[in-house]
Amino acid sequence: MIDDQERNGKKEIMEEFTVIGKRISKVDAVDKATGRALYIQDLKLPGMLYGRILYSKYPHAHIIRVGTEKAKALPGVITVLTGEDIPPVRLGFYKDNPLLKAGKVRSYRDEVAAVAATDPEIAREAISLIDVTYEALPAIFDPEEALKPEAPLVHEEHKTNLLKMPWSLHYGDVEAAKLDAVFNVSERFSTTWVTHCCMGTSGAIADFDHSNNLTVYTNTQIPSLAQKDFQETLKILGVKDKRVRVIKPCIGGGFGSKLDTYAYEHMAILLAWYARRPVKILFEREEEFIATSPRQPTVTYISMGCDKEGRLLYRDMSMVLDNGAYTSWGATTPSVMMMPITSLYRVPNVRYSAKCVYTNNTYSQAMRGYGNPQATFAIESAIDMLAEAAGIDRVEFRRINSNQPGDVTPQGLRITSCGLPECIEAVSKDLEFGRSRENGVGVGLASLIHVGGGARIYKSDGCGTIIKMDDYGKVDVFTGASDMGQGSDTIIAQIVAEELGVQVDDVHVFHQDTDICPWDVGAHASRTTFVAGNSALGAAKKIRLRLLAMASKATGVDEDKLVLRDRAFFVEGKPVLPIAKLLRGSHFTPRGEMMMADNFYDPPNENMGKDFRGNMSATYSFGTHGVRVKVDEATGKVEILDYIAAHDVGRAINPLLLDGQVHGGVLMGVGYALTEQVIMENGRNMNPDFRDYKVLTAMDAIHSKAVVIETIDDQGPFGAKGIGEPGCVPTAPAIANAIYDAIGVRIKDLPITPEKVLAAIKKKNGTVSCGIDAFTQKEQACE
Amino acid sequence: MSREIKFVLNGAQTCVAIEDDWNLLYLLREKLGLTGAKEGCGRGECGACTVIVDGLAVNSCLYFAVEIDGKEVLTIEGLAGADGTLHALQKSFVSNGGIQCGFCTPGMILSAKALLDENPQPTEADIKQALAGNLCRCTGYVQIIESVEAVVDKSSGDINAVVRETGDSD
Amino acid sequence: MKKFKYLIPKTLDEAVSLNQSHEGSAIYVAGGTDVMVKIKSGKLAPDYLISLKHIGVGSQLGVNRETGALHIGGLVTHRTLETSSLIRLQYPIIHDAVQRIGSTQIRNVATIGGNLVNAVPSADGAIPLIALDARVNIYGSAGERTVDLVHFFEGPGQTVMDRGEIVTEIVVPKQPSRTGGAYQKFGRRAAMELPLIGVGVLITLEEGSNRCAKARITLGVAAPTPIRTLSAERYLVGKEITENTLNEAGKLAAEESRVRDSVRGLAWYRREMVEVLVQRMGVKCLQRIKETEAL
Repeated sequence: MIDDQERNGKKEIMEEFTVIGKRISKVDAVDKATGRALYIQDLKLPGMLYGRILYSKYPHAHIIRVGTEKAKALPGVITVLTGEDIPPVRLGFYKDNPLLKAGKVRSYRDEVAAVAATDPEIAREAISLIDVTYEALPAIFDPEEALKPEAPLVHEEHKTNLLKMPWSLHYGDVEAAKLDAVFNVSERFSTTWVTHCCMGTSGAIADFDHSNNLTVYTNTQIPSLAQKDFQETLKILGVKDKRVRVIKPCIGGGFGSKLDTYAYEHMAILLAWYARRPVKILFEREEEFIATSPRQPTVTYISMGCDKEGRLLYRDMSMVLDNGAYTSWGATTPSVMMMPITSLYRVPNVRYSAKCVYTNNTYSQAMRGYGNPQATFAIESAIDMLAEAAGIDRVEFRRINSNQPGDVTPQGLRITSCGLPECIEAVSKDLEFGRSRENGVGVGLASLIHVGGGARIYKSDGCGTIIKMDDYGKVDVFTGASDMGQGSDTIIAQIVAEELGVQVDDVHVFHQDTDICPWDVGAHASRTTFVAGNSALGAAKKIRLRLLAMASKATGVDEDKLVLRDRAFFVEGKPVLPIAKLLRGSHFTPRGEMMMADNFYDPPNENMGKDFRGNMSATYSFGTHGVRVKVDEATGKVEILDYIAAHDVGRAINPLLLDGQVHGGVLMGVGYALTEQVIMENGRNMNPDFRDYKVLTAMDAIHSKAVVIETIDDQGPFGAKGIGEPGCVPTAPAIANAIYDAIGVRIKDLPITPEKVLAAIKKKNGTVSCGIDAFTQKEQACE
Repeated sequence: MSREIKFVLNGAQTCVAIEDDWNLLYLLREKLGLTGAKEGCGRGECGACTVIVDGLAVNSCLYFAVEIDGKEVLTIEGLAGADGTLHALQKSFVSNGGIQCGFCTPGMILSAKALLDENPQPTEADIKQALAGNLCRCTGYVQIIESVEAVVDKSSGDINAVVRETGDSD
Repeated sequence: MKKFKYLIPKTLDEAVSLNQSHEGSAIYVAGGTDVMVKIKSGKLAPDYLISLKHIGVGSQLGVNRETGALHIGGLVTHRTLETSSLIRLQYPIIHDAVQRIGSTQIRNVATIGGNLVNAVPSADGAIPLIALDARVNIYGSAGERTVDLVHFFEGPGQTVMDRGEIVTEIVVPKQPSRTGGAYQKFGRRAAMELPLIGVGVLITLEEGSNRCAKARITLGVAAPTPIRTLSAERYLVGKEITENTLNEAGKLAAEESRVRDSVRGLAWYRREMVEVLVQRMGVKCLQRIKETEAL
């Protein structure tokens, strides 16, 4: 039970809701539980061909020749394309990624050729028949090395491996603050590649009609922006002024992986264009690991200082990010990292710079948190170190520096609702930080700030909604939002049902089709509940006003005496007019009216200026995670004993789905902290399967305790803020801090493998060598 | 080589001509139009293709179609009653948040069904063990495990042990 | 994926003769979970698969009353072993291993014979069986022969079996009283693992004392094949089993292992884990002996 008055002070009346705040089942759950839900895997069109892509055999090489004769001669092969055969389609916002490479490959995942055939097996065989002659080039895999003058260039025309993206800010005076600081820490942290591991692999079907209008069925989080990307490809093909329709079947997981359009989607379009038949490209699991973009790896240097009371005085950070060979949204993650760097805890002086560097590795993408997990790992690890240096209890240190409602941070973020103090309290109370403990057991905590009210990355952060009602009081909602499993359809249905006095089952949400649904910038930045929710709420309010006016006219009762609930209008607790009857009356009458409304909501947030200042989100979400671990000091294995995740979510529209976001985020975060890594050896993915890429299993599941702090945000729909990403943001530093508490060693590089922990223990105990390898007869360093 | 096999599919006698090199998942999805079982990896590492053969959960992507001759196969399409009534596990997954993107759901529910058929009162450890071969990236498994626990024979007395800590705000 | 024909012999001899008539282009298949993956990935490309599932032998699991030996048919699935109370109560070292092989779905189908023939260095199924001095019965066109399991493996994917031979049975001799065994698969997550290292320890104590009468220390992923670490075993025999002697045995086993660096783990770490786990499994052996005696 959350008392609004107590929490917020601004709320005058305790609101009673019929749908909001209830644990309501997902609207698509029955279809998914019965196998009816259709994914890209399940779709087939008549006459459809199967496309397949040939990838590079080298991380960096000249392409001398691509021999396609044998492939073309294979019966069943309809189209074979190479980089020489197609117009110059380039992918990504930086346009540095040719759809099919000609002249040169820059990573193992470079697309060299593609085929379309009548059967997937024939397509596979055709790919194996394509003969490519390469001339290997020196390659570069370490982003810090890649910055040296002698490093091979990934894109010669750029004359440097450094991307021209000057991520650099300085607020206040960090140098002066360093002189004032009494306690200081200075450290290096690193994170590596992890990947989304959507259970449903990537896939797309492209289909042209006889007028060259294009329909693309694809797993995307950004239907409207994908439509734009596909239009650009058509333009390069010389196809102008045609319609592009993007249809999104059920998506087997997103997590940021579908924030861009990819070669396989554009390749399906080109193959369909040349073959004049629908073409489907569906990734196999190994391809999913190799040819989708992982989370950006980072090397972070951080120094931070405080005064003798423990108040933070400055935070000085610099980063090197491995961009890989091409550019996708991963390169822009510093824009979001700036948020925790400048604004997680009160810190008056901040400096940050980030370099994105081309290498011959796979190119990176955003993944759940958009850079925030990497930045928060460094910040929250260093916070613990600084608290220790200052001799201040870790929880107290965070209390002292906690953000508070009304703060304006150095970056210009305006903190409105802020439940961070409550989150810290909830965690510290639950984990009893002061409690004496057994050997090898330790507790740790870490907090987060994240955009909770959209994020103005593009010129617009908007989302459209259309609502119409039928003769029976049923509601159709057409939203720009993208449900990829997180449950946005359900949240939108609840918001609309609450506002229109109907049940969730009366509301059907359509999100799947750009021909039907309004525009939106995509499912990212935990923005959907806030932005699409406000958009739907605005449309529902318009309908509600009209319904009230009509009902007042029909009943002769004043509007303010009419209560709209349970599918009817009530006067003094008695139903007087069912909504359905009112609607039929409005339709079946001369000069009747249709009950339909639209609404476009663009939140009151700001693009960042050239100085990277600006209130990028209309509100911010906060949270604190606490964890109790047990470290096996002989093996270095870390076991999680207790986990608590407290989140300020504004309002829990649906606690059932909210818990799901938190539990899912936490386990993904635990994987990031302890087990997951794409093992890249000289640009080659060495573990492209679930056997060696360690996604956690049900046996590793953690019964995390999700605590909801409701701060009822003024801007949020019914007070709600975003929660999609925060669950995996502070997990790794909370665990790293708990390990330090347990055994006194600090691991600064993710993932925290048993090897790293054991090596650190040995180092701490003065053991440097881990002995002679009996097989190689070489001395083995422990680290 | 083409051959004919007879088996019981979701309660119905079925006779179908197959090729020797087909696996069960291919037969179900591509030839019989039952797309509930999914291919997540094709090599038995994710469990999205799980179906029940003669009472045992198996990875249909690694099961020779010819070997189901004479056997009984249950897929997610056959779990609900003929009148559409959902199986208790389906209901529970729906109402307890066991489903997000849904790609793992058919396999997950069938693994749980095979467990409960064999052991109607599993412990949490039994449930985790039975579901270990079904990967899920969305839920963190917590609500999946709760979904299974919620249909465990109520007389065991242990089933309400799952504490909901989030406290409804209503 | 290569197309193949699937042959279903009804007897052991029929299976063997089918193999002979398709010399070089046929392979046997039981559960098929490994074979199918290898065919899909192109690592195997047979024209014929010969199913062993219907030959009417190889499904037995039980103790021979006369000899007291445990007989495990080659076609017994891991799941059958996992759920057998005989295995769980009397051969917990086997239970330790089989309950962590793959997933329930895999264990429902994959067979112990297939696990052995597959001959991967980790061979979870083999490590405890070697510790138990198991022998393997092999049947082929030349008749039946018996091989000690410890000598069965020759390298990754390589065994002493001749082309056309079939593992019909694994026989575990009756263990002396006061014997306890334990196996640990050491991986990065709790399930679905190939081990970083696998360690099996079996200890027999002398009557009325804590002195070691017999010891087996077997390792997986410590060499190209599953191995026994003889120096560690010899060290323990005749000694009191204490934390110190087990530690020493762990050190010897670690020295004898031929661990390597790979994507899955580093050699130094694997060696450390041999040392730690030999000691821990040794302690578990003692516990199990005590538990049995307390019954």
